[in-house]
Amino acid sequence: MIKLQNVNKYFYRGEPREVHALCDISLTIEAGEFTLLSGPSGCGKTTLLNAIGALDGIDSGEIYLDETEIGSLDEDARTTLRLNELGFVFQAYNLVPVLSVEENIGFVMRLRGFSDEEIRRRVLEVAALLEIDNKLKSLPNTLSGGQQQRVAVARAVAAKPKIILADEPTANLDSNNSQILMNMMRELNEREGISILFASHDELIMHSVRRVITLNDGILINDHKL
Amino acid sequence: MFKFALKNILFYRGRSIATFILTFISSVLLILFISMQDGSHNSMLKNSLKIYTGAIEIYHKGYRDIGGNEYLIQDTKSIMEKLAKIDAIEAFSSRYETYGLLSNGEHSAASMVAGVSPNKEMVLSSLHLALKEGKFLDENSGNSIYMGSELAKKLKLHVGDEVAFVGGASDNSFAADIFRVCGIFKTGLFEFDSSVSFLSRSYFDELMYAKNRASYINIKLKNLDDLDRVNSEIVRIINDKNLESLTWKTLMDTMVEAMEVDNIFGYISLSLFLVVIFFVIMIYDFINISSRIKEFGVLRCVGLSKKNIFALLFYEIFILSSLAVVIAAPIATCICYYYSINPIVINGIAEMYRDYGVVSDEIPFSFSIPTILWNLSIIYLLNFLSILYPYFYINSFKPIEATRHV
Repeated sequence: MIKLQNVNKYFYRGEPREVHALCDISLTIEAGEFTLLSGPSGCGKTTLLNAIGALDGIDSGEIYLDETEIGSLDEDARTTLRLNELGFVFQAYNLVPVLSVEENIGFVMRLRGFSDEEIRRRVLEVAALLEIDNKLKSLPNTLSGGQQQRVAVARAVAAKPKIILADEPTANLDSNNSQILMNMMRELNEREGISILFASHDELIMHSVRRVITLNDGILINDHKL
Repeated sequence: MFKFALKNILFYRGRSIATFILTFISSVLLILFISMQDGSHNSMLKNSLKIYTGAIEIYHKGYRDIGGNEYLIQDTKSIMEKLAKIDAIEAFSSRYETYGLLSNGEHSAASMVAGVSPNKEMVLSSLHLALKEGKFLDENSGNSIYMGSELAKKLKLHVGDEVAFVGGASDNSFAADIFRVCGIFKTGLFEFDSSVSFLSRSYFDELMYAKNRASYINIKLKNLDDLDRVNSEIVRIINDKNLESLTWKTLMDTMVEAMEVDNIFGYISLSLFLVVIFFVIMIYDFINISSRIKEFGVLRCVGLSKKNIFALLFYEIFILSSLAVVIAAPIATCICYYYSINPIVINGIAEMYRDYGVVSDEIPFSFSIPTILWNLSIIYLLNFLSILYPYFYINSFKPIEATRHV
């Protein structure tokens, strides 16, 4: 489903401080996988996640999402791809502050043109799964960090993307909330069949996933299934 | 997007209120500024047309540039018969103007002495209303002279005093007579009051041997907006290439120039005003939008397109501008309307600007709905333009960069 072939990414290219952030990365992630990109800080996890998520370009190589080569897409096509095929969970939750929990969860669906009834049904379903169905009318700033991150996951899941890219989703959560979130995400992965790719160095996530891809200094050094 | 924009406006209340107030104040100030400028120009024009100059005047070619008896209109009667057929003309009359010396024995002064038809002048001009003391002329005034207040002051004359006149008649012979001051007028136009005096034409024509001759024919229109159309009709009906029919725009070219210069300065001030408004709104929008870069980054990441972002900003400014304009428009309109009926009075302004035709301390506002509408359109346009730079600025960030923006 996602296939990377000899992906290279540089920062400050041509300058003395040049960084080779991704070195010839090749890997495949199949549909329904629950995978972790692991490694120390600065190893290239987020860079790789952003490249797969069509949020940042690469300097060479190819990234395929099914048959679509992401690198060849222009900005508008990348935006459409992100809207229709991908879901995002950020470390800092990044909910829309002016929208209620219900509106945040249904936001991507609304952009994709789902009907009000479809949105309402799906929001209730996902909110119930993530145990935030009693907070639907609340604004994000009235929720705890754990609840906000669950809303962010619900937003990413609601429109049924092919893959969810989660960058350090537990970094701002305590261990209890992290565990709850991971359990819920794993359940979503199993029930909905949505692939989830984490970028994190959290041990908790490492014990929850079924595959760990390890990077170091931009080089893929290990890829094993648990 | 509209609903989303509305939620943003309600959520960021402080920002919304500030933008609303800025737009509201700008709208009101712009409307009042333009109304006041147009109003004072209209007032200058009306005053001048009312006092003496006609909306249209017919001359023999050369009279205005060269002057002299060779360029008098010779057959006034036939022209006036033709003018009587034009419906759009309210009144008309011929005037004979000459220059001579007035003297009371001790003091002398040059003066333009004009022969007018008193009854017609009461319709054509407001000379009779400018009466300060004595009385206005009538058809049987004989040798009575109606004199400007400054001229009377110069000659130390009062109502009832006699003054000698020496000038040239229409056949280039000398004309001399003794006049008696019947009235003194004050228009407020200094040059006019200090150099002009009037006699009844019936007596003046005898003195000047000017029967059926005139310096020009003065015409008042029913509706000043018909100026150019009526002037073309006059030219067509008179059909005499030795005559020229001129509108007030040509006759009062000095005033028109003064108004144009004033307009230029007015528009320069206005431009500066608009530039200030634009930058204030734009900088404020820029600060507000910049503080939401992270939010826009997230929206872009999850699939909001650049067009969506523009639509969002557009709706936000559209809602706020509309609200401000909808409230500002009736308020400013009422103020304009009120001051168009009850002009602001600034004591001494007539004294300062009398050379420009300002004869009153009142500054009336102009009340024109089309003008108010284009003023509001400008405010709308400025508001919309003000989001362009912030929009391009936020789009200069990659979505993922924007999500990390602090």
